[in-house]
Amino acid sequence: MLVFATSDKGGTGRSVTSSNVAYRRSLQGSDVCYLDFDFGSPTAGTIFNVDSASRGTTEGGLHSYLQGRISEPQMLDVWTQSDRPSLRHRPPGAGRLVLLPGDSGGGEFAVNHEVVQRCIRLMRRLDEEFDLCLLDLSAGRSYATEMVLAATAEPEMRAVTARWLVFHRWTRQHIIAASGLVYGERGIIEAGRVWGHNQQELMDSIRFVRTAVVDPNSVELAGLRPSQVAWLRDCNRDLQELASQRKVGRTTMLGVIPLDPVLQWREQLISDNDVYARQIANRETVDAFDSLAKRLTEDAAWETL
Amino acid sequence: MRMQPRQQLLEVWRATARSSAKNGKWIWGGRDGANSISDAEQLLCLMTPATGVESFKLDQPNATEEHVAAALRNLGDPMEIPQRLVRVLTEYMERYTDTDGTPVFSGDTYFRTADPEDEPTSAQTALDVVDSFAMSVTLALATIGFLRVFRSELRREDIRREVDKLETLASKRLTAAMIGLLRSFTVYVFDADSREGRALVRTANQSGLPPRQVVERLRRALRQVSATLREVTIGSGAAQVPDLDNPNRLFECGWSWGIAKDAPLVDVLGDVGVQRDGVAQPAPYLYFTVVALDGIAALFSERTRILGLLNEEQQRLARALQIRWDLTQQYWSTIASFDPVRWPLEDIPWRTNDELENDYFSLLVTAVTVQDLVSRQASDVELERVGRVLEELANRGRITRRPLGTDSAIAMHSPGVRFDLLGSDDPGGPQLAWVVSDFSPLLLKRTIQVAGLARDTELRGRLLAQADVIWDHLERRRLKSGPGHALWDQPSGIFAQVDSHGDQPSWYYTERVVECLVTAANLVSRAPLRSEMLTELAGELLNEADHLFDRELLGGAGEAGPALRNSLQTARASLRRARDVLSDRPGTAFVLASDVLRELEQLAAARQDVFEVE
Repeated sequence: MLVFATSDKGGTGRSVTSSNVAYRRSLQGSDVCYLDFDFGSPTAGTIFNVDSASRGTTEGGLHSYLQGRISEPQMLDVWTQSDRPSLRHRPPGAGRLVLLPGDSGGGEFAVNHEVVQRCIRLMRRLDEEFDLCLLDLSAGRSYATEMVLAATAEPEMRAVTARWLVFHRWTRQHIIAASGLVYGERGIIEAGRVWGHNQQELMDSIRFVRTAVVDPNSVELAGLRPSQVAWLRDCNRDLQELASQRKVGRTTMLGVIPLDPVLQWREQLISDNDVYARQIANRETVDAFDSLAKRLTEDAAWETL
Repeated sequence: MRMQPRQQLLEVWRATARSSAKNGKWIWGGRDGANSISDAEQLLCLMTPATGVESFKLDQPNATEEHVAAALRNLGDPMEIPQRLVRVLTEYMERYTDTDGTPVFSGDTYFRTADPEDEPTSAQTALDVVDSFAMSVTLALATIGFLRVFRSELRREDIRREVDKLETLASKRLTAAMIGLLRSFTVYVFDADSREGRALVRTANQSGLPPRQVVERLRRALRQVSATLREVTIGSGAAQVPDLDNPNRLFECGWSWGIAKDAPLVDVLGDVGVQRDGVAQPAPYLYFTVVALDGIAALFSERTRILGLLNEEQQRLARALQIRWDLTQQYWSTIASFDPVRWPLEDIPWRTNDELENDYFSLLVTAVTVQDLVSRQASDVELERVGRVLEELANRGRITRRPLGTDSAIAMHSPGVRFDLLGSDDPGGPQLAWVVSDFSPLLLKRTIQVAGLARDTELRGRLLAQADVIWDHLERRRLKSGPGHALWDQPSGIFAQVDSHGDQPSWYYTERVVECLVTAANLVSRAPLRSEMLTELAGELLNEADHLFDRELLGGAGEAGPALRNSLQTARASLRRARDVLSDRPGTAFVLASDVLRELEQLAAARQDVFEVE
């Protein structure tokens, strides 16, 4: 299965959340690969602590492959290549976790028929090899989005399940932006229709993920003044209404990731060690990643009303 | 109010979901077994709040509140809950439809006999009951309204089909229930010299007038009612109307316990199944009259009109029912307040025309009167009198006072008030009876309603205090364990003299408590009462504060250092806020103005010292 991760605005935690989801999914026993399709800024290596690819790889990454300079992009096994001790060595029962980085110094590039064909070839091959392929697209309407929309519209990709995750923070601006990215003019659905997608099917394969969410009723807010909490609760209700109007409400949402202090300061994978032994990250955050990783492939979670 | 309707409703929802949904199946029945009334009551425990309280809505999964959804976790997540409800409601509608497609309104396991050994025949248990008509009207309206909103959220064809099917079923049941109500309305005409006539005169005659005079006055007071009765042309009750012209006749109107004997058929478009023959004695029962009035009121509520829940045929039937509703309302409140010096209602206990007397009947008459007060925005003087009656009834019902060892009032709570259903032995078998024990919730509901109408803060405060006491009483009657945990009813929790009722929930009782909670929730959500005196006082305070503040600015304090400037800015904001809320919340304006005055006073006091050099 292919999962495209996108967001309208930067700073939503798209990369860090989808990396963590890939990590959790592989801990659950699936073979997972993570493709850094954020061509303007290929830095996925940092999150996985793979030093050789922290700003893209020098040994032929996705840029080189898609532009036809090499025949195979580099694939890095996180369990052996990561510099973080807690990530090295695959835990028993875990599946593969493979990173496909972009090129070091690579940038955005225009999409043409050949690029799309190469993209299709890669996605089909990886889909056979892995249970889950997570493609991290860049923020906003990008060439990468165009490319995967064009690729998935082709008849030979019909058999491959493709799903979309749109990440947004829980604020007015982000809700409006996320809704615009999907339903708006030149949005994903509109662009998909131009490439020949069935609008309804495409719409059903898109879900939203709220990131860095602060629950106004949580105990962590005990330090706030009562008037601040009262205001927050009303804001939250207001946002819910807005989300519902913009079709970003609960019925189209796949997960909620709470605000976590660790992720605020550093984009990284949260290991069980961070939660239980060092106690620097919150368990709720990991639970949210875990449940999101499961729901990605649960058909019941993708049913509409 | 101490009863906190939101928290209580959430608790009832949790308990209802827990005891009704097990392993993906819905458990019907409860203490009195499954029947068309009990099952509707069980569903209404969920549907009444879901359609009557804004924050308990379930029909828009995107807008469902987190805590509300959490209470129903047993039924699924916010998206599954409405789907689950649709399936259970469909199951209900299908359970109570005959093989020939006729909706069934039978009393079944709610029927009682004098001798428990003497079981009713199957023809008897299948008899339709007004209670079921009324519950079905409420449930069908709640269902249709729920579906109207939920449908707009749907895209999937299969769920839409389920929703459409349920709406058709509910609409058919609604029409059938309305026809049932039209065919069980009765006008009972009797001679002024008959037993009933003498009883009515005795009830009405509170100042010892000669009976002849009372009869004449009664006829005059009821002139409008009897004139309008002539407009009653469809359904039952029309046949007796010509007798009203005789000056020696008096009458009663209201609902019998089931379809009246010889009730004519109602012409109706569309298929509503067979209209069965009635057996019920064509004379009104106070209990069923109150139940019918409550159900019918939902037909012309604001919600029904705004959502357009009735089709054309149903609107025609609703108009016919509304005439009867108005008449009955007017009739009973005329009798209840016949003598302005001392209302017959205040002469507790009420005695019915078949010479039964009970505090419960007083409560029922009060219930009708309260509905009348609601519909005509009564004055505080009348409300005050009804309020006193309610207080007296709470006392006599041993809710606000402790019972004696062998107190006859306890029987009213458990086993309940019993009355014979005359005519029920017509199809053969023993005479059936009906037992009702809803004294406390009915009293609570009316107390809250009267409190909501009161414009006088003192009266409202007193009634709400009484509502809290009744609520404490109800709280102690909750089941403490078993499948019905946190639901009702366990009278032994409060009356040591009563045997335990087991641990199964009584949906009859629980539904009535839920109605009270919904009424209370809607009262709390309204703007608070405004005391004129307080508004005036707050206004005066504000004027003084405003003036002193302006003088402070004139003295140049606005250009002072940050400490003083901040304090004046806060004062300015408080004054503006106080002006904004003055008309809605004078108490709040009062406090804000006092704060400003205190602040300004500190400045003034500090300055005074400057001149006291020595």
